[in-house]
Amino acid sequence: MDKKVIEVKNLTYKFDDFVALDKINFDVGKGDIVAIIGPNGSGKSTLLKCIIGMNKPTDGSVKIFGKNPRQVVKNIGYVPQNFEFDRNIPITVYEFMGLEKCGELKHSHSNIKNVLKDVGLSNVEQKKLGELSGGQFQRVMIARALLHEKKLLIFDEPSSGIDIVGEQTIYDLIEEINLDRGTTCLIVSHELNIVNKYANKVICLNKKMICFGSPESVITPANLKKLYGIGAGLYHSH
Amino acid sequence: MLEFLQYPFMIRAIVSGAFIAVLLGWLGTFVVTRKMSLIGDGIAHASLAGIALALLLGWMPIPTAVIFAVFIAALIYLLEKKTRISSDMAIAVIFTTGMALGIVLLHFYQGYQPELLSYLFGNILAINSYDLFNIIVIGVIILICLFIFYRKILFSTFDPVGAYLSGIKPWVYDLVLYIATAVSIVLSIKLIGIILVSALLVTPSAIARLFVKSFKGFTLLTILLSVFIVIAGLILSYYLDLPSGAVIVLTGTISFIVGYLISLILKKIKS
Repeated sequence: MDKKVIEVKNLTYKFDDFVALDKINFDVGKGDIVAIIGPNGSGKSTLLKCIIGMNKPTDGSVKIFGKNPRQVVKNIGYVPQNFEFDRNIPITVYEFMGLEKCGELKHSHSNIKNVLKDVGLSNVEQKKLGELSGGQFQRVMIARALLHEKKLLIFDEPSSGIDIVGEQTIYDLIEEINLDRGTTCLIVSHELNIVNKYANKVICLNKKMICFGSPESVITPANLKKLYGIGAGLYHSH
Repeated sequence: MLEFLQYPFMIRAIVSGAFIAVLLGWLGTFVVTRKMSLIGDGIAHASLAGIALALLLGWMPIPTAVIFAVFIAALIYLLEKKTRISSDMAIAVIFTTGMALGIVLLHFYQGYQPELLSYLFGNILAINSYDLFNIIVIGVIILICLFIFYRKILFSTFDPVGAYLSGIKPWVYDLVLYIATAVSIVLSIKLIGIILVSALLVTPSAIARLFVKSFKGFTLLTILLSVFIVIAGLILSYYLDLPSGAVIVLTGTISFIVGYLISLILKKIKS
């Protein structure tokens, strides 16, 4: 049985003449937590859009579960960095969780309540979405992915704008989902210490793939210098 | 007290106003959620070119403007999705271009055109039986579309990527929303006027959001407030003998101020 969840081969993506991604190659196996790191504008979000099939590669291919991403989109959960809608518009957490049902009452109130409890949120179903903190909102998004039993979860900077406690809670939750459910997770992050702690593979991206491997082999001063152009490294407490 | 009901023009204005209020109120909930409040102004102003073309060629102004508005909506959509032009920039360019084209076309129109003022500022007397028929038929078609596609438009509004990943094509429902909004705005022009029609797309939602927690409650309250604002505005404009569009918009603004004060009082009582 093929255990590859994501297969990216010679992926190139261009906007007009601008090369956003240049011959990217990597595989993600079932149950992996893979982090993508790289400076702003390095093509991380473009890569995610290619993986979910929203961007059609200029050259090369992306396969998810061995198929064209558009054929398996229902197995993919995506937690964006932020939403474009007006967060002050009244919508309850329950309504937001149920957006995906599109008319079918597939998920009962108790299912939604249970899955929210799984991500550490109790009695929030009738709260306005806009009343939640950034960290709580991200957990609602994760709960929604769990509700629909997604096999691959993609996170675009899940702790962006969230305090250190919220960040820890979210990454602990991602790890728990990965261990308990075997869900494969792909995470874009700028937090090198977090990546080192939670990911089992790291992709260094700056339009080209700079390096790919375990955190220990990838997060080295030489690679980070190549990636960011400045001296960077992990923070070690004494 | 209800003497205005004796006049057929008032009955036509109230019935068409109620239809328009439901349409713009409901569509407004999506428009404000998407932070696209400017789209109402853009389409209304740009449709002046369609009206001017119809007046110049002796065509029927509103059906011509409806077709023109669909074209405008599709153009805004294409500029926004297929180029790197932002939504507000696309709307602003089309808004001013349509208005300028309308002014140039009207320059070639010979003689006084009293109807033009009705299109700009709205007029209760301007709604004839033919307009009422158009508003009801096209309005019912839009309402049916909204009922059928409601959940998909809702999902695409709040989470377009999530909608795509659940197998929906959000761009299809974005286009449905743009076209429905454009056509509803043009239907409202004779009653409210090009200059002021966008207020009805935004003001009822701005009031409703102060009082509700759920999107369902938001939608229902917005529609109710929209109907109240239009009908109260029409009746006031009749008694005060003032232009209907301006009185409807001012009724909305006063309702917003009252609503805001009530919401502040309710917050104080709760805390």
